[in-house]
Amino acid sequence: MGLPDRKAESWRWAELVRAKANFGKQAPANDTLPETDALWLDIPGDKRLFIGGQPVGHQAEMPEIIADLPPHPLADMAAAHAPCGTSIAIAPNHDGGFMQVLHVGTSGTAHGVTRVRLGAHARLILVETLADSGADHWLNLRFDATLAEGAELVRVVRIINGHGLASERAAVQLADNSRFTSLAVVYGEGDARSEVLVCHNGQGSHAQVNGVLLGDNRANLDAMTTISHAVPDTTSTQVWRLVGAGRARVSVSGGVKVARDAQRTDADQSLKALVLNRTAAANLKPELEIFADDVKCAHGCTVGELDKAALFYLQSRGIPRPEAEALLTHAFVADALAVLPEGALIEALDRDTHTWLEARA
Amino acid sequence: MLEVTNLHTTTGGREILKGLSLRVNAGEVHAIMGPNGAGKSTLAHVLAGRPGYEVTAGSATFNGGDLLALDAHERAAAGLFLGFQYPVEIPGVSNLLFLRTALNAQRKLRGEPAVSSTDFMKKVRVEAAALGLDLEMLKRGVNVGFSGGEKKRNEAFQLGMLEPRLALLDETDSGLDIDALRIVSEGINRFRRPDRAVLLITHYQRLLDHVKPDIVHVLAGGRIVKSGGPDLALQLEADGYEGIAA
Repeated sequence: MGLPDRKAESWRWAELVRAKANFGKQAPANDTLPETDALWLDIPGDKRLFIGGQPVGHQAEMPEIIADLPPHPLADMAAAHAPCGTSIAIAPNHDGGFMQVLHVGTSGTAHGVTRVRLGAHARLILVETLADSGADHWLNLRFDATLAEGAELVRVVRIINGHGLASERAAVQLADNSRFTSLAVVYGEGDARSEVLVCHNGQGSHAQVNGVLLGDNRANLDAMTTISHAVPDTTSTQVWRLVGAGRARVSVSGGVKVARDAQRTDADQSLKALVLNRTAAANLKPELEIFADDVKCAHGCTVGELDKAALFYLQSRGIPRPEAEALLTHAFVADALAVLPEGALIEALDRDTHTWLEARA
Repeated sequence: MLEVTNLHTTTGGREILKGLSLRVNAGEVHAIMGPNGAGKSTLAHVLAGRPGYEVTAGSATFNGGDLLALDAHERAAAGLFLGFQYPVEIPGVSNLLFLRTALNAQRKLRGEPAVSSTDFMKKVRVEAAALGLDLEMLKRGVNVGFSGGEKKRNEAFQLGMLEPRLALLDETDSGLDIDALRIVSEGINRFRRPDRAVLLITHYQRLLDHVKPDIVHVLAGGRIVKSGGPDLALQLEADGYEGIAA
């Protein structure tokens, strides 16, 4: 299977030129390891590190992917070519706490697979970070998760990509009364594609799928969601906040599919973009396919600039313009971050946002 | 403290201020009254450094320095405060974060050390209590969900917290009920000191019942057309602007 074409609607805003350039070039063996200390979030829990797709400090294992997902060009490529991955299984009624997986792209192409299985009423908070070591590369990750009845998964994916392309597709299957919370925080000057597919297969399941894309310079950050409500009485909420600066392009396509039998689905979606310079671009696309008749599907979309009146108000109280812009931008993305429980995780991600804003100020 | 000389400004290609001159000394309270469209708010915005206003002639000095050469945030650090006629709502930025950021940004520019959280909160409690503002309310986004009166009280609260040298208050009395007017006026009176000055922009005498001005000016057609003592405001209330501005 080859790389997808931008003529296909679901790839129209993706920038895959770095994937083409690195296609088929396997990442070299790790003779020396890049510094990764700063890439971990300061939270407790187990850690797994992959450099150029190879495990560092832990055994290689190849997880079994979910077999019955629709074909996906990049996710299937990851499953076919990843030398190894991470498999996490949490037993029923067990709290897995926090866990972090860090994937660092070096050069060439590195594929990876992460597989999560949560037993009934099990819980896990997983942070996956995709970063680079300063060279052109393509890092491509597949994430598959199955949640049994009443299970709860929080997955935060941070894409801090300065060079090349980082792409990832998360596919999550939800059984009765399970909850999935997804937060993508994507920033950096490289290109990124982040995709989430949620399959509501069990009644009473809920998905919260949020994202923050912060693009500067020539970054092309592209996100796509497909929330598939296949059975009755399921809910989903999506909150995406995109910020474009420099000549960056930030895009999100928010998809909701409601099957004929999925009565009483409640799907809510809010997509907003802030364009900090006239040279940056933002694309927002709500995409709703509804075949049931008793559903609530709200969606809202706005693209705007920083509020000039608010900027002057802050400046008139003594706050210099760059700081005022940072304060307003931070407030703009706060809605999407607020999905996480108070504590170390949200504080750590807040710092990510600050780092990005300070670098721009 | 503030000396405005022959100030001409345009906005959107239209001349609004047409040779305005004004001198405010430390310790004084000045009131500027005038008909709609006279240029009162323009004067406040130009002095505070709002973008979109072009000064085509004249000068404004503040404590001897060229006010017009400074950016808006530098004017604030120099001691100028603009109380907004329509305070802006800023969701997601709490009142307390905003004020502390502002206070410390001003102090940094003046070469003073940052204020500690303890000292900051101590002052917040005193000022908020004096204005009847709930602390819980101050943890919310700036002016978000505030009534018109609460927004103006919040302006007075910021005035008390930031302790500027010159308060430029643009129709602070608009939208206030009788009790709120008294509370906000008390805030302004508490601010008065021999080394500070106040410039009140207002349509109505009623604010001046609470905050006694030393000098009242009538602004019409982009210029100060008449200045006098507190009696001038009473005369305006009785006779209207037309007779005086003519």
